[in-house]
Amino acid sequence: MKKSLIFSGAGGQGVVSAGVMTAKAAVDAGKYATFLPEYGPEQRGGSAKCTVVIDEDAIVSPLAKKCDILVTMNEQSFKKFAPQLKEGGVLLLNSNRVTSAVTREDVRVIAIPVDDIANEVGNPKAGNIVIIGALIGATGIVSEEEFLESLKKKFASKAPQIMEMNAVALKKGVELGKSL
Amino acid sequence: MAKVFMKGNEAIAEAAVRGGCRFFAGYPITPQNEIPEYLSWRLPEVGGTFVQGESEVASINMVYGAAAGGCRAMTSSSGPGISLKAEGISYLAGTKLPAVIVNISRGGPGLGSIQPAQSDYFQATKALGHGGFKVMVFAPATLQEAVDLTYNAWEYAERDRNPVMILMDGCLGAIMELVELPEMKTADRAGTKTWALQRREGEARLDRMLTPYFPEAMLEYENTTRGKLYEKWAENDVMVEEFMLEDAEYVVAAYGISARVAKEAILRLREEGFKVGMIRPITLNPFPKKSFANLDYSQVKGIIDIELAIPAQMKDDIALEVKDRAPIYTYGRSGGVLLDDESTYIAIKKIIEGGAK
Repeated sequence: MKKSLIFSGAGGQGVVSAGVMTAKAAVDAGKYATFLPEYGPEQRGGSAKCTVVIDEDAIVSPLAKKCDILVTMNEQSFKKFAPQLKEGGVLLLNSNRVTSAVTREDVRVIAIPVDDIANEVGNPKAGNIVIIGALIGATGIVSEEEFLESLKKKFASKAPQIMEMNAVALKKGVELGKSL
Repeated sequence: MAKVFMKGNEAIAEAAVRGGCRFFAGYPITPQNEIPEYLSWRLPEVGGTFVQGESEVASINMVYGAAAGGCRAMTSSSGPGISLKAEGISYLAGTKLPAVIVNISRGGPGLGSIQPAQSDYFQATKALGHGGFKVMVFAPATLQEAVDLTYNAWEYAERDRNPVMILMDGCLGAIMELVELPEMKTADRAGTKTWALQRREGEARLDRMLTPYFPEAMLEYENTTRGKLYEKWAENDVMVEEFMLEDAEYVVAAYGISARVAKEAILRLREEGFKVGMIRPITLNPFPKKSFANLDYSQVKGIIDIELAIPAQMKDDIALEVKDRAPIYTYGRSGGVLLDDESTYIAIKKIIEGGAK
């Protein structure tokens, strides 16, 4: 079943990495995936967005206007991309930064205090891992084990504490994603 | 061989290395920067040379020099930079030297935009430089195709002693997907290339001279030979994907990323019972003339050309083959605005429903 995902937020929140990591985990698990970043002239900061398509079969078009799953890490991206979520879709948002109320009633909303959890874990940069955890818990788009394997490969060259913090961040996200 | 999840630009760079490329010179421009970035560390690993030139003009002329020495050489850029390289590319063609030029295309004209577009079709297929020469133009639609076409590009370039262009939109340059990378080719020694300039090491060997300047009669002869070469391409080297044409009443024509968006729309329209197919040129030059010329026009009610270019450019080549046998409709976006699956589906459907009156 083909699923399209949009990851969005501010530059520096790890939105593009989140897209790559999710796509990579799907590919490592034997599925097909495409990753399409939106690029701009910014050197740093600004907004960040990417589209990921995951399917059991080869992907025809990597472009998707409407998505099945929307991840928004800040207010600006929430406002911009909420209309692109399909009816019946899943909306994952960072409740620390998305301040306006969700008015859509035709979607499943998973609100996670991403920044709080990342700080709790001891790595403010791990917010993207937290939201991916919630994504996994809520949708099962990739399994927790598959993602963890993929993550280990990515952080293989880094200090082991970083991977440990990421693993905790992921676990917390998964638990919240499952419960909401 | 294991598949790798790779970015389009990097996949092209790696395929070039595996295809025997050992020299790259280029100047930065979005959306192709990952190609030089990747090659800056990858080429030295295989004993190759990477140069970030002081300009596009310098870079293409370094490629000219490397090619003259028999080295598999490449440059990459995007629209504005390709324009700057035009003179050097023409000199490569004039001197009958092989090289690969990659254009990861963006919005134009002028500085245009840094977002993906397909508005360099005319430039690539009709006049990549002055003097009336042509080059083979490959237009991949998937990253696997980008890898395969780049990997083999020098085979064509050296066979024909003519530059080759890879024309791929910035969207495919930016996406990541699975590719299977081919084995590393053994980089040919210049010595096996009869046309390459080489050191004279005392042994008896004919002097070789490369020149972009010819006496008139010789130039006329060379141009006649070029004409024959282009005819051979048309006979032997056309690559095209024909999709669901058997019963098609409407035929979409699209290449690169547009073809992928269009195919998604076609599959959806097929489910609704619309008889739509697609012709996807993989070589833009030679253009798949026969695919369009030989359609059954008692069945085909219209051609729908979809491009990331307004006005549509490939339409002119299609029209030469379709003649007046079916109307040619166009749909597209321009300037860096992307096509999307939903709007493309609606656009095709509108054309069909309007055209079927």
